[in-house]
Amino acid sequence: MANRRLLTLIAVALAIALLLPACRGAKPQEEKVLRVWITWGDNPAQLQALFNRYGEAHNLHVEVTAPVEQERILTALSGSNPPDILVLSGGDLVKSYAKQGLVEPLNKWIEATGIDLKDIFEAPLNQCNANGTYLCLPWGTDIYALFWNKDLFEAAGLDPERPPQTMEELVEFADRLTIRNPDGTLAQIGFIPDFSWSHLDLYARMFGGFWYNEDGTELTLNSQPMIDAMLWEQQFYTRYGPDNVLAFASALGGYMSPDQGFYAGRVAMMVDGEWQVGPNFIPHFRPELNYGVAPFPPPAAHLERAGTAVVQGTVALIPSGVKDKEAAARLLAWMMSPEIVAEEMVANSNLPTSRTAAQDPRFAQIPNFDVFLKLMGHPNAKYIITTPISMEVNERLGQIEEQVLHTGADPVPLLNEAQAELAPLLKQALGQ
Amino acid sequence: MRSAQISGPQERTPRLAPRWSPTTRRNFRLGMLFIAPWTIGFLAFTLYPMLASLYFSFTDYRFRGTSQWIGLANYLQLFRDRLFWTALGNTAYMVVVGVPILLVFSFVCAVLLNLKVRGQSFYRVVYFLPSIVPVVASTMLWLWILNPNSGILNSFLGIFGLHGPNWFHDPAWSKPALILMGLWGTGSTIIIYLSGLQDVPVSLLEAAELDGASWLQRLWHVTIPMVSPITLFNLITGVIGMFQYFSQAYVFGAAVTTMGNAIGAPLNSTLFYSVYLYQNGFIFLKMGYASAMAWILFFIILGCTVLLLRFTESITYYAV
Repeated sequence: MANRRLLTLIAVALAIALLLPACRGAKPQEEKVLRVWITWGDNPAQLQALFNRYGEAHNLHVEVTAPVEQERILTALSGSNPPDILVLSGGDLVKSYAKQGLVEPLNKWIEATGIDLKDIFEAPLNQCNANGTYLCLPWGTDIYALFWNKDLFEAAGLDPERPPQTMEELVEFADRLTIRNPDGTLAQIGFIPDFSWSHLDLYARMFGGFWYNEDGTELTLNSQPMIDAMLWEQQFYTRYGPDNVLAFASALGGYMSPDQGFYAGRVAMMVDGEWQVGPNFIPHFRPELNYGVAPFPPPAAHLERAGTAVVQGTVALIPSGVKDKEAAARLLAWMMSPEIVAEEMVANSNLPTSRTAAQDPRFAQIPNFDVFLKLMGHPNAKYIITTPISMEVNERLGQIEEQVLHTGADPVPLLNEAQAELAPLLKQALGQ
Repeated sequence: MRSAQISGPQERTPRLAPRWSPTTRRNFRLGMLFIAPWTIGFLAFTLYPMLASLYFSFTDYRFRGTSQWIGLANYLQLFRDRLFWTALGNTAYMVVVGVPILLVFSFVCAVLLNLKVRGQSFYRVVYFLPSIVPVVASTMLWLWILNPNSGILNSFLGIFGLHGPNWFHDPAWSKPALILMGLWGTGSTIIIYLSGLQDVPVSLLEAAELDGASWLQRLWHVTIPMVSPITLFNLITGVIGMFQYFSQAYVFGAAVTTMGNAIGAPLNSTLFYSVYLYQNGFIFLKMGYASAMAWILFFIILGCTVLLLRFTESITYYAV
């Protein structure tokens, strides 16, 4: 009997313990909370501080979560309580999400909140456009350009102030900048085409194409520009030996470290983005590095393609499951205002998507940043084309590129095979 | 009807209609109440998701909205999927090559840790410690060790004039690299073996010694048969674990790729079954397809376990 009393007592105590927090949570006038999820997490405190400004001005709290993992995003988007705004590091997944019904079309909200689309650079905006429906809005933008080490150029007898003017000249310069050890291994390399990741999009654009047609309705994996781009990349491996290049690349330091290949003076030229010139990268890890930045050069036969760059970057969207879409849209409109875009992009040295924000004098103070700003406004600037099967296509391209570069495989049959397999998938995904 | 069953002839056959005393009934209710948290958890978080995934495997799954019933299409598509077979092959390699190596290594370590030498507890701690290091951390550590150019493993091989392989980018060496990495974390298997070794009756070992059996003969003829149930247990859990091999491969792929496609690098040689399943479900958003993969894996594991139990029946010795 005593045991029974004890059990009852424990049960009552447990029930009280469970109910207490619930009672505490039920405040009569709770502060409205808007939740923003951001997939990258370099500087969560800075992001929270930025959004606090909106919260203070509107008497609510904006809770920023960064970084957020892919699995968590999917669970939240398909659940009943998704974040009010989701900011992704790239637009690749947006159309896949939209196909699953997870994304709120923004057209009516853009109109309702007065977001000025004309103020947004065309190239980054286009990555959110699906046949006239805006699925997201570009917040920040990335553009890649060619970085070169002036000291290594000088040591190789090259003019340190003159980067290669054509893709052919880049190959020639890379040869002169590559140094071998007595045992045949590499001590220094001129250029690695897939350093620190693939730049196939840029090379394919330089050769006059992409892996989709311009409106993203057809797959063009085995088109001539794709083949040319892969063969151009392959030569850097075949010249020095794939094993040599891979072993050399494996020994280079991490991306965000002073031993990163380009920072450490072991890779003479690299393709990388605008954030490198900002406070968190080169000036932070190797402030003494003597380098230059220029647009990536075009092929000699197509000098009119100078200034071609692939624009991609962070995008913000409203999940379809959000209950108070109006509040989310107002927050999105605030995020897209030139003042806030400038604030955020200056803090992280990313390109602003707003034309007004780009005039902010703080951007001009970042050395070499103007190269990227000019590239974004250049008539040859291209946006990254995405489709509902972007992830599958990107994954497959990565595998093919790896085979072509690292094993010397012929790209033609591999691209033909992928085209045959994936083209019907795209048609199916687009409901054609 | 119910009262008719209880009364009459059946009342005299308590085997068919057992009657619980009030105490038994109360105890039963109380018992059920106590296991209720587990039962509810099992039903809500294990059984329901399992059955749901079985249903999803027959649909074109939609994250929001109605999933469309497509019958066996996901399963049929899987058998035509080149990467499905690649992933299955890579996983089979780890099961067939990796598991035996890990078992033999664990057994040898356990035998050594069972020897009566000074500081034995210290050695036991040292061998067990790596298994409590988080998988991601230990994989990152091993990436340093295995670095083809600057890693200590290839530098060590270099002392003997051997040119170490490119563990990161050579598809022939990536799986052996992962197996090598796995040897480091076999602490729990070693502990299970060690407890088994300590249960081997000393009388049997002494009798064999008196009969003139060498250490190796005692190990082969007495110790190994006596720990065979432990070996079977480790084998089955090892096979199940290897079929679900994920974290190490995922981290490894992300670290060694230069292409941004973190999964399966180099050249799909580390595209294991669970990794491909994850990729389909969470990256390609093909949850129905991934569910079909999960059910195929379930039956593969079930089949392997049944086969292992059947084929090892005659060579497993249970002392009791």
